[in-house]
Amino acid sequence: MKKFSRRRGFITTELSGYEVELLSSLINQLVELVSEGEPEKYGSDADPEDFEQFVRELEVDPDQPEEPSDPVLKRLFPSAYPGDAAAASDFRRFTERGLRAKKITDATTVLQRLAETEQGAHPLRIPAEETEAWLRTLTSVRLAVATRLGIADAETAEALSDLPDGDPRNFMVSVYDWLGFAEETLISAL
Amino acid sequence: MVFMAESEGVGIVPAGGTAVAERPAEITVPQTPWVTIVWDDPVNLMSYVTHVFQTYFGYSKTKAHKLMMQVHTEGKATVSSGTREEMERDVAAMQEYGLWATLDKADEL
Repeated sequence: MKKFSRRRGFITTELSGYEVELLSSLINQLVELVSEGEPEKYGSDADPEDFEQFVRELEVDPDQPEEPSDPVLKRLFPSAYPGDAAAASDFRRFTERGLRAKKITDATTVLQRLAETEQGAHPLRIPAEETEAWLRTLTSVRLAVATRLGIADAETAEALSDLPDGDPRNFMVSVYDWLGFAEETLISAL
Repeated sequence: MVFMAESEGVGIVPAGGTAVAERPAEITVPQTPWVTIVWDDPVNLMSYVTHVFQTYFGYSKTKAHKLMMQVHTEGKATVSSGTREEMERDVAAMQEYGLWATLDKADEL
């Protein structure tokens, strides 16, 4: 991809079909992850295999939401009160549903603009009012990829830039770098 | 109204003068005892963190950059202070942006 640039009120760049597909796939995975545990999932067309999970979740006191077990969700929705479990739980109860919904709304905005490129046949054009949704979504995807790569601090991040050829993580590292380039140049273009 | 009627004739005195006499010599300004703390993380770009501080808090580029550098070099920075409700709103907003934020009582820092 080229750097993002500003043109007539839009932030724009050109993506290959592969890049559009890759970014859309990552964002769809984010949406799926963030949607987990939402009641909508258990509608009339719910997968019967989810029933056991449904029963398990019924046993969880909805007034005392627990910290998510998935490390990515844990990073996206960290404890607001590290030293106070009850306050952290209250905060989660009042904010987490809204935060999840916001991530999904942002992601939907981004996916829509990506779809409009028709697999990269047309330039990507982001209206000014959607740039925050793009930045938040790129950030969420980068946080998710980084967590899966085990990036916990500067040292673990640095170690990934020096992997031997053939290391299975090389692909995700290149994706992570690509996402960083996209976000950095998007900010520069604002 | 019955309540008003019953009050009549009981001899209630307007309290204006008394209130002034009992006012403390020094009026204590309400403290703002809660703070929002943003923690360093290895993923968020420095430019992005600065952008978020400018966009959400309306801080100048200089102030936003200074706070970002404090997060980066010291591991954390207090980015706002206010009531607990205000700080919960700020923390939720920071989480919306993917920053790692917590809140705490100011005096426990």
